[in-house]
This record gives sequence, structure tokens and C-alpha cells, in this order.
Amino acid sequence: MEILAFSILLLPLLSSLVTLFFLRKHGNVAALLSVATAGGILVFASYLIFSNGGEDFAWDANWLTLSNWELRFGFLIDGPARLLLFVVAFVGLLIHIFSLGYMDDDTAKSRYFGGLSIFMFSMLGITLADNLIMIFVFWELVGFSSYLLISHYFTTEEAANASKKAFIVNRIGDFGFLIGIVLTYWIFGTVNLKELSDLASFDPSLTSTALCLALACGFIGKSAQFPLHVWLPDAMAGPTPVSALIHAATMVAAGIYLLVRIDFLFTDQALSLLGLAGSGMGLYAGFCAFVQRDIKKILAYSTLSQLGYMTAAFGLGMPGIAMFHLMTHAFFKALMFLGSGSVIHACHHEQDIFNYGGLRKKMPITALTFLIGVLAISGVNFLSGYFSKDAILLGAYNSNMPVFVLLYAGAILTALYMFRLYFITFEGEARSKYAKQAHESASLMTAPLIILALLSVIGGYHGLYPFSLIGSSLSDLELVAKMPNHLWMIVLGTFAWVSGCIAAKLLYSKVDQSDPLETKAPAFYRLCSSKLYFDEVYALYVKRVQDPWARFLEVLELLFVSGLMVRGSAGLAALFALLAKTFYVGRIHAYAFWFILGTLGFLAYASGLFGN
Amino acid sequence: MNFDQFLLLGAILVPALGALSLLCGMGRSDDFAKKLSCFAFGFPCLAGIALFLRFDDSIHGYNFTVLYSRMGLQELKINFHLGLNGVSSPLFAMAGLVGFGAGLAAIGSGVERIRLYLALLLFMQSGLMGLFASVDLFFYYLFHEFALIPTFVMIGIWGGRDRRSIALEITVYLTLGALVSLGGLIALNVMVDAKSFDFPSLSQAISEMGMGESTQFKIFGMLLFGFGVLVALFPFHTWAPRGYEAAPTSVSMLHAGVLKKFGLYGLVQIAAPLLPEAALAWSPYLLWLALGNVLFVGFVTLAQTNLKSMVGNGSVMHMGYCFLGVGVCSSLGAGAAVMLMAAHGLSVSLMFLLSQYVYRRSGTLEMTQMGGLASQTPVLACFFIAASLATIGLPGFGNFWGEFGIFLSLGENSDHQLILGLAALGIIISAIFGLRAVARIFYGKQSDELSEYAKDSPIVDLSVTEMIPAGVLVSALLFLGLWPKGISERVNHEIHLRYDSSSSLSGRTSQLPPCCLAGKDQEGKGSVSPEDRTTLEPKKD
Repeated sequence: MEILAFSILLLPLLSSLVTLFFLRKHGNVAALLSVATAGGILVFASYLIFSNGGEDFAWDANWLTLSNWELRFGFLIDGPARLLLFVVAFVGLLIHIFSLGYMDDDTAKSRYFGGLSIFMFSMLGITLADNLIMIFVFWELVGFSSYLLISHYFTTEEAANASKKAFIVNRIGDFGFLIGIVLTYWIFGTVNLKELSDLASFDPSLTSTALCLALACGFIGKSAQFPLHVWLPDAMAGPTPVSALIHAATMVAAGIYLLVRIDFLFTDQALSLLGLAGSGMGLYAGFCAFVQRDIKKILAYSTLSQLGYMTAAFGLGMPGIAMFHLMTHAFFKALMFLGSGSVIHACHHEQDIFNYGGLRKKMPITALTFLIGVLAISGVNFLSGYFSKDAILLGAYNSNMPVFVLLYAGAILTALYMFRLYFITFEGEARSKYAKQAHESASLMTAPLIILALLSVIGGYHGLYPFSLIGSSLSDLELVAKMPNHLWMIVLGTFAWVSGCIAAKLLYSKVDQSDPLETKAPAFYRLCSSKLYFDEVYALYVKRVQDPWARFLEVLELLFVSGLMVRGSAGLAALFALLAKTFYVGRIHAYAFWFILGTLGFLAYASGLFGN
Repeated sequence: MNFDQFLLLGAILVPALGALSLLCGMGRSDDFAKKLSCFAFGFPCLAGIALFLRFDDSIHGYNFTVLYSRMGLQELKINFHLGLNGVSSPLFAMAGLVGFGAGLAAIGSGVERIRLYLALLLFMQSGLMGLFASVDLFFYYLFHEFALIPTFVMIGIWGGRDRRSIALEITVYLTLGALVSLGGLIALNVMVDAKSFDFPSLSQAISEMGMGESTQFKIFGMLLFGFGVLVALFPFHTWAPRGYEAAPTSVSMLHAGVLKKFGLYGLVQIAAPLLPEAALAWSPYLLWLALGNVLFVGFVTLAQTNLKSMVGNGSVMHMGYCFLGVGVCSSLGAGAAVMLMAAHGLSVSLMFLLSQYVYRRSGTLEMTQMGGLASQTPVLACFFIAASLATIGLPGFGNFWGEFGIFLSLGENSDHQLILGLAALGIIISAIFGLRAVARIFYGKQSDELSEYAKDSPIVDLSVTEMIPAGVLVSALLFLGLWPKGISERVNHEIHLRYDSSSSLSGRTSQLPPCCLAGKDQEGKGSVSPEDRTTLEPKKD
């Protein structure tokens, strides 16, 4: 088993190393190698998932011993790990295949595919890791691979800044995470997940709100939750398949996975805080998405909002549902991102939806699959999103009204902005030269779309999945199934998506190149586009506080430390030198005078004149 | 003399002999001089690696000892005593690696009077190898001076802007630091009535006879400040960035990478384990000064736009972590500090090397006047990104384990939690300046100045000769990062001997929370007190 886990982990690492050393100039070979690697990962992952008959598996070995700190390198393959392993391997492979088509005319293919492999390595590391320190190691590594891939088009200022921002904002989250890990280690004496869970259940007084919130900082950074959400929309500067893989389906979901893995550490207080924060994020990001013009940014905000749903599910004490929604979200969000990639590819990298229009006739497969994605995320009855999202809504309805209200408003908004995106992009008339010339993408790109669309339709029926995959979520799903108010929830849910769809149809069925909302409700439009000024405030902090502070300290150092202290003492020494120099006047009788004076002084001393 | 001793002596003598023969004018051609110094730099590198691998953990204390006691200095208890232990062996190997990198960089640099340059650098290398190989404290100091003096000369002759005044500043500063620490060492020699002037006998003598607390306190204070100046402890750090900016690349590499570790090495290996009570008493001051390195210098680094001065400031900032590790006064902190020292030596010298490569291509070190270099020099960009990320502590590179261990050691004692929080801010600060540099130099559009410059001298990617030293250093960093056990085993063993045998310290390290270990299949991983650990050790493989 551990051999299997090791091969899953090392395969992509090896592939990226081979690419780095030998295939830098052979983009096509590198691409094929990377896709083959992703295929291999899926094969090994399926073996790993099914071979143990749904039993948990753990293995570890010493990695480092220093004094009383022993770090072990190990794997813990339990329910959530199997689920995420499947999502990463399966969606990862589809996106690799899609990339073959999308990146066909790129000049730096080997860098791109090498980066994808590094990402797979790090992401799988998080999935399989059995202790917090090891999670942290791979946590930082996914941050690095995300950095690498966002900066793929590094000649643009946008990508250069976005990659830097993503890494640094993530580091801020990791700062809390790191401190959380250190504290966990000294409170529990271990960072191994299994041992932690035993200890926490044995003595719940060891857990504390401060500790689990510190650990949750890692999640806040990686999953781009409030107040560290600013990096994700910018990260869209990377190639679209990267956004699909890293910034929608897997890496940002790793934050949720982390929470699920350490859920035994969370206190009720922390949980309710997360529940509120998640539902608030669900609504806030929905408003932001509502007024975006860039197709990828709409999807990015929508990802933020859906991550908020998962957080809320976790906060409501239903980690299984959070994982379930993570999976269905991975399907339909990857589908829509890849769909947007197909559109962007066809329209020569035009990303403004108001420059599209009428693409349904030109790109029927893309349009149809995209529509399925929109329906799924809006929670249209009996599609995948319906099951996972309405489970969260029902859970909230029965246990926490404020969270429910926020989430429900978010659900209406989701349908609204998603149908807005669909109508503006695919319906009506083409509004630009590129949109007029667009044609359907190659089958390398449409095939993954079709598979993902299929999963977005049926992915919500948990009975379809083998127990090994879905086992860990079953108890929470059953819990929700037993809850009251089902019928009422169906009515409410249906109302949410129908009203969103109708509103979008009314508003956006006939648009030109400007957003109709801008004229109809200018104040609201401006408020939403401001995104509540987070980016501006942060930029202001960097420009007006951090950088001046750094320069101030630099001047301080120059003035006091190297000026006053160092130069000062040098000056003091020079003063003595000046004094001493006055003795050396260069006249022989002056020296003779000093000589006699010295001799007299010596004699006086020798004869005891100064008193012994 | 067996093979290991031959390697150990050779690592010191080969560079020295190489330097002498270059000075005596053996062979007239520069070409021969280059070949000769290539060998003279290569030997210590290989010897360092070989001795690191051949190191036997089961021997307590020093391996590969060479002892020659008829020096005529028996009166002063001084013997010529070489050997490696778990702390010095990784640093010895690191010195060899960095020296090799610096040597190759020097050979490829094409400076004027290259034979003199190489000869001085070889002397420096010889001193560095000797420093880590010395058991006797007199020779430990002597070798340090041996390596230090060429630094001044080389900055004075081959340095950049303001080289004279900087050479003078560095000389005054470092000589002062060295003098104070020498004073401390002499005080140790005089106050402790030991058989010989080395750690084992000193420690034995102290444990037998004891030492007054105030004497301990004073001696440790002298050592701390002397060593502190040499390692650029805040606020005695201003010489370092200025010096490194002005010094020729190979000198910056060797000095920032290896020579600067002299003081920390002295603290970890000698001062702290020998005078544990004094170390505890000084610990609060040291911790706060070290925080000055991390935060104050960290912010100053943010303000730098000159590449070399950013690298220099950054290296001073990260030295703060090492000081924190020492200041915690636990075996974990000290061990992590050693791991960070080894990795930091590699990463900082790599950064200086790459800065020089960037300079060669852009004709400037002002980062605001660069941009977009990655399109013309992908390989250089790749190396530079790797080096920057190593410096800012990305897992996968050696620095991460050291930094993490130090954070962990700070968390051990609840008094240090504030310091932990502040020190950990450093990971954000270093990420900001590291990535800013990458973005400014390699991403975005080419600046007008650079395009202007590139008209006369077209920008080309790294040549193979440039790639070798960088590749060696990166691989070593990756080795430390991916296989931390390789170094931690060595360090751990020795650190236990030095720190946990003295009672006052082991009392602190075993101050673990009374956590219940029920339901654990294995005996409390991680929460074993050091005493138990030593007994558990042999059972593991």
C-alpha cells in the first residue's frame, strides 16, 4: 500500500524533473509526458482507493529527529482522503487533457506542463499526508506551484503582480497556520492526525478556540476566505485550465479538506464563527460576481461563494456534506472554467462577456455543457448541485436561521449571476469581431467538457458512488435526509433558481456592450463593483504604511546605527588621534623637551615621589 | 594516518598549498592557475562530503581526530587538535561546497590579477575548513583570523564602490568583534583549569570544579558580543550589507555563507553548552536582539532596491533566526540553528552568485532598472526563483527545516510565545522582498535602461561553467530539504551530548505538557523527554 501511495506521489515529481532537465525545448513531449503521468496517477489512485475495501490505511517512517521533536513522513488514507484523491486524480486528468488543446499554440508548453506536474505532486501530498507538519510542507508547495502557474504569462504586469500577491497573501494565512501547528505540537505532544483525534476525544479540554482558529488561518488563506480572499480573482491571470484545476476544483478546496481533517479540534464557538463567516462569504462574493465583466472573474467570485457554502456546511457541523459539495463543485466548476477556456480560446483571448454573444450557435457543445454547469450550480432540481447545496441549506434551515438566510440569499444570487453569464455569452447576437468568427473547439477540449457535464448531472446521487469513496460523507447525508422540512426546502430551492433565472432573462436578454444594471441601478452597481474596497485598502496599507515604514527604518538605521554609533565611535577614535598627533610637531627641541619631561617623570616615579 | 585523517588534513592543507604555489609563481600562465585552483577548491569540497558521509554516529564526540601536542605551547594548554563532530561535520561539508562554488565563480569571473585573487581566496578557504575542523579553541580562533584577513585585502583591492572606506569599516568592526571574543576565549582558558584548551576538557573541568555564576555571566557576555558582532547581531549589523555589496562576489559568498557562521558556531558548540546558566541569563537579551534582526532588518530589506544590498540585508535578517534558536537555550533550538546555518550558508552564497550573474547581464544592480529578464534567460530565472524561495523558507529546501525547528523551539516555553508570534512575521516579510525581487528582475516588461544596455551587450542565458556552481549549491539545498534526516541525525546526536547532559537545561527541555498518551500504539512520539529519548535511540534504525 505504501508503495502505491509513494508512486502516486513520486510519479508527478519525477515527470516534472524530467521535464525540467531534458524536455525544456520539447514542449510537445513534455505535454504528453505530463498527461501520461496524470493518467498513471488516476490508475494508481483507483487501486489505492479500492484495494483496501474501504478500510483506513496508515503508514509512516521517520523523516527527521531533532532533540525532542520527531517528524514522521506518513500517509493516512481515510474517507475524506479517498474522496479528495479521486477528485484530484480524475478532474486533474481531464484538465490535463483539456490543456493539450488549450495550450496548443503556447511557446512555453514544457514550463506549463512541468508546473502542472509539480502541482499534482504537492496537491496529492496534502491529500495523503498524515500529520500537520507534512500538510504544511505540501501546503506551501501548492502555493509555490500556484505561484509558478499564475505567472505563466510573466511578461504581463498583471500576471507578475497576481502571482506575487497570491503567494504573499497565502503566506499571511500560513503565518497563523504555522503558529497553530507549533502550539498544537506543544499542547498535544504530537501532530499526527490520528493521534490528535484520539487525544482530543480522550480529553476535550485540550482543544481551544484560539488554537483551532490559528490553524484555520491556513484554510482562510488557501481557500481565499474573508479577509484574505483578494488573491483569487487576481489569480485568474493564469492560463484558464490552471484556474480550473488549482483555483476552482482542487487547491482552494484543500482548505476545506484541512478543516475536515482536523474537525475534532474545533470548538462550538469556532464552528459557529466559521458558519457565519462562510455564509457571509457566500453572499458577498455573489454580489461581487454579479457585476463582473470578465468571464473568469465571474467564475472566480462564484468559486469564493461556493467555498463559503462549504465552510458554512463545516461550521454547521456537517463535514461530510462539505466534502460532498467539494466534489460536486469540483465537477461543475471545473466544467464551467474549462467551458470558459473553450470560449476564450475560440475568441482569441477576449475575456469580456459583453464582447461575446450568440456563441451557442457557433459552439454548440461548449454552450450546452456550460448550460449544464450553470443549471447544476444554481441548484436546478435533481442535478448534482441540487443535492449538495440544498443539503447545506436544509441543514442550516433546521439549525441556524441567520446562516440559512445568508445562504439562501446567496443561492438566489448564484442563479442570477450564472444565468446572466450564460445569456450574455451564449445568447443574443455576436457583439465583436472575434465572437463572430468563433467556432467550436477541438475534440481534445470538448471531450473533457462532456464527461464533466455528465458528472454534473448525475454526480449528486450518492448511491452511484462506491462506499470507498463516499463512505465518510454518508453519515452526514443520512443526518440531513432525516431532517424535517424537506418539501418546504424543495419549494424554496426551486423558487431560488427559477426567480434568479427569470430575473436574469429579463435584465440581460438584450444587451449591447454595456451592463444594463449600470444605468438602471447605478448606486447598487457601483457598490458591487467596489467589492467593498478590500483591494484598495490593502494596496493603501502597502503603499502608505508598510513601504514608508520600511524606508523610515532604513533611514533610522543609517542615522543612528551606522551613523551615530559606528561613525561616532570612529570619530571618537579620530579625536584621540588628533590629540596624539599634536605631539608630533617635527621640531627636534620639542621632542627633546618631551624626552626630558618623560625621563623626569620616570625618575620621580622610581624614587617614590607619587607614593607607592 | 588513516584515510579519513588524510582527507581532513588535506581539506585544510591543499588550498593553503595551492595558494602558496600560486604566490610563488608556479607556472606562469593564468590557465594553469585556474586549473590548479579548481583542484584546490574541489578537494575540500569532496573531502567535506566524504567525511560527512563517513561520519560514524556511534562514536561519542569527535570523529577522525588528529592530535599533535608537541607544538611547544603545552604551557598554554594548546595542542594542534583536529576532528569533526555532529555539529561541525555538516558545516564542514557546507564550507567545502560553498568554497567550491565561490572558487568556480572566481575562476569564471575574469578579474584582473586573477592569480593573486585566487591565491587569497584559497587562503580564505583553507582557514574556513580549518575553523570547523578545529577541536582546540586556539586553532579555532586562529583559522578564523586566517580566513578573515584576506577578506579585508580583497575588498580593498577588488571591491566595488567605496571599497576603501568599507574595507576599513569592516576591518575595524570585525577585528573588534574578534578581539572581544578572543578575550572571552582567553578568559575561559585562564579561569578554567582544564587539561587542554578544547571543549571536552573544558566542560569536564567546569563540571568537576564548578564556576562562579558572575564569572560565567561575564565570559558568556564577552563571547556573545564578540561573536554577535561577527555574525551581525542587531544592532551591530550595519557592516554586513554594506560590506557584501562592495565585496567581490566570491568573497561575499564565502564570508556571508561560511565565515559569518564562525560566531554562531562558537555559541552553539562552545559557549552555550559550556556555560548553560549564563546562557539562560543572557537569553532574554539575546532573543530580543535577534528579533531586531528579524523585524528591523527585515523591514529595512523591504526598502532595498539594490539587489546585492537586498541579499545582504536578507542574510542578516535570517541570521536572526539562528540567534533565536541559540537564545532559546534548548537542544531543539540549537540543533535547528545548526540546520539553518548549514542551509543558510548554501542559500545566501547562491543568492550572491546569482546576483552577480544578473549583474553581468543587466549591467546594474538596481532592480527598478531591470525587468522581463526571464524571457531571455529562463535558466537563470529558474535558478533565481529556486534560490529566492529557498531563502524565504519554502519546504523542499533546507532552510525550511531550520526555521521550522526554531519556531517549534520557541513554542516550547510559554514565555516565548510573544517572540514566536513576532518572529514568525518574518516569513511574510521575507516572502515579500523575495518575490518582489523576482518580479522586478524577471517578470513584466523590460525596462528602457535594460533595453538600452542590451543593445551593446546582448543578454544570453547561463553558460555551462556558470551553471555548475549554482547547480551544486541548489542540489545541496534540495538534499537538505528533501532528506532532512541526513543532517538531523548527525546534529541530533551531538546536540544531545552537549545540551542535555547539563542538568539545568534538560530540566527545561523536558518541560512538556502533561498530556495523556492513552490510546497510542507507539510510545508517545514527539513527547518523549530527552532523557528517555537517549535510551530509546539505539532501538531505532
